[in-house]
Amino acid sequence: MLGLFKENLLIALGAVFANKTRALLTTLGIVIGILSVTMMGTLISGLDRSFEKSMSFLGRDVLFISKHAWFSNDNWWDIRNRPDIKLEYMDKIKQQSKFVTAISPTMQRHIDVSRGEESISGMALVGTTPEYVQTSTTNISEGRFITEGEDRSGSRVVVIGNDIAESLFKNISPIDEYVKIGPYKFRVIGVVEKQGKFMGLFSLDNQAIIPSGTYFRLFSRRGWIQLNAKVDEAHISEAKEEITGIMRRLRGLRPEEKDDFAINQQAAFEDQYNAIKLAIGGTGLFITVLSLVVGGIGIMNIMFVSVKERTREIGVRKAIGATRNMILGQFLIEAIFICLLGGLAGLSLAWIGSLLINKFVFPSAMPIWLAVISMGLSLLVGVISGIAPSFKAARLDPIEALRYE
Amino acid sequence: MSEPMISLKEITRVYDVGAEKVYALAGVDVDIHNNEYLSIMGPSGSGKSTLMNIIGCLDSPSGGLYNFEGESVHTMDDNQLASIRNQKIGFVFQTFNLLPKLTALRNVELPLIYANIPKDERMVQANLALEKVGLGDRVKHKPNELSGGQRQRVAIARALVTNPAIILADEPTGNLDSKSGEEIMKLFDELHAQGNTIILVTHEAYIAEHADRTITILDGKINTDITKHIKRDVS
Ligand SMILES: Nc1ncnc2c1ncn2[C@@H]1O[C@H](COP(=O)(O)OP(=O)(O)OP(=O)(O)O)[C@@H](O)[C@H]1O
Ligand SMILES: [Mg+2]
Repeated sequence: MLGLFKENLLIALGAVFANKTRALLTTLGIVIGILSVTMMGTLISGLDRSFEKSMSFLGRDVLFISKHAWFSNDNWWDIRNRPDIKLEYMDKIKQQSKFVTAISPTMQRHIDVSRGEESISGMALVGTTPEYVQTSTTNISEGRFITEGEDRSGSRVVVIGNDIAESLFKNISPIDEYVKIGPYKFRVIGVVEKQGKFMGLFSLDNQAIIPSGTYFRLFSRRGWIQLNAKVDEAHISEAKEEITGIMRRLRGLRPEEKDDFAINQQAAFEDQYNAIKLAIGGTGLFITVLSLVVGGIGIMNIMFVSVKERTREIGVRKAIGATRNMILGQFLIEAIFICLLGGLAGLSLAWIGSLLINKFVFPSAMPIWLAVISMGLSLLVGVISGIAPSFKAARLDPIEALRYE
Repeated sequence: MSEPMISLKEITRVYDVGAEKVYALAGVDVDIHNNEYLSIMGPSGSGKSTLMNIIGCLDSPSGGLYNFEGESVHTMDDNQLASIRNQKIGFVFQTFNLLPKLTALRNVELPLIYANIPKDERMVQANLALEKVGLGDRVKHKPNELSGGQRQRVAIARALVTNPAIILADEPTGNLDSKSGEEIMKLFDELHAQGNTIILVTHEAYIAEHADRTITILDGKINTDITKHIKRDVS
């Protein structure tokens, strides 16, 4: 039986290569279907990884108190008219809350950082307090973080991100060297460990972190502030409620008034991300199913044509002793072979695609199980689209088949 | 006499053409024994091919009894019939019916594939069969690289390769010039001399001359059935 299988495979091979363009055109649907399912899978698995990594930066146990929600449909005007978040809230929240273990502000703006001739623009200047180390996942790779004293006195010291360190200090340690932030000279006291990009969008390594006191004094008194409250992870939702209560009291809101601030957490990203994932998955699945169905119908058609064209051949094969099952097998294998070929082509394209994504967008690799599934899918399409034409071939009457012109 | 290899009794084959019934065979009785050399003659449309197809288990009769080597063909299922065609019968067609994309060797190998014979043995037997028909030096040629006579020899090699009990040839020389035809007939003569049973359909009296027994068919019935009594010398 194995011998016959091999023969059938060779026949299929011959038949496919004898009609290269036709085979190519018919497999196009399968190619696209498999390409879309594997690309979608690769994309999602890459996104997952990148998302997880980015999320770890935000910290599961940190609540971010700010003027607006990260993802919301709130009226822009309402948000604009909300009062700013004030630095004074920090102490009050910390005093009144059972759950908050650390709290720090972040104030942020874009700025140029330079050293000598060298200047890099568009760096993220962050003003914060020493507790920032606890409320973020920032690790210092060299030097140290800001101290209480430096914050209080408004010292001109800075902790720089890895990118800044690498571009401005090629061969020497940045510690105790000076950089210019905007027009002001700052002493580098620490370097933040490399963190990579957030969601593949913006780098977390171009930050220049300075004491909040210094930020206020030199850069801006007003502007966007976010408070980062680290809480007990086991009681995150209670903590959120509690802080909401504290904030409402601080703002003097009456019960019927809506919150004029927002408390964000990592979960908001997760919800948003899941929605994106669903959209990608849904679209990919739709394209996949559509192209596999179209491709399957195409292959069924081509197989019917092939059976018709080879009617005489079928007659001859029957006359010299081929059974129905042997003929059935021959055409079924041919259909499956075409589909697997298409699947393989789609898979190869997807693999190239995943390499490109890996290189230019975010780290990703095609999971093995996805390759297995897509080949299984091709096989399935081959069987489904090949079964009817193969049966037709198998059931041909030998005499009529031999007489067919 | 021993039990016939092929025994047909009251065989009919009816086609429904519209409301009309066409009797391609209208009751044929014939016994064919091992190592017979039989030719079938008759006017066009008389039912020769129909009879051959029924003998070759390619077609089933509408009525009557057909025993092949003592076994009733009517009770056999599709796979058994395929197996008989594969093992017991070698077909030679007027139009050769070789697969155009395969070499001579691969064409001859085909019945052995369906007989599930291992590759090495297939190669040996297929080569042997091609040598037997004098095409040992043409094994790699495709049908369109061979002359008509050579193609028919490949077809004969294919019919022979499984060592069938019987070779059925429906106008095997019909598409050949007389010289090639004569060569093919010499081949059949040799095969017969080696012990094969041969049935061939022909329109030409000089072709039929090669056979020991000639049946003529008219309107789906056997008209004459003449056996030569001069014994051939088997040289
Ligand atoms: N599929 C069919 N449907 C209807 N009638 C058929 C069919 N096949 C054969 N016949 C009829 O059966 C009769 C015998 O046909 P057959 O092919 O056996 O003739 P033949 O003796 O081989 O003729 P020839 O010498 O021309 O080959 C003819 O009258 C033909 O029209
Ligand atoms: Mg005929």
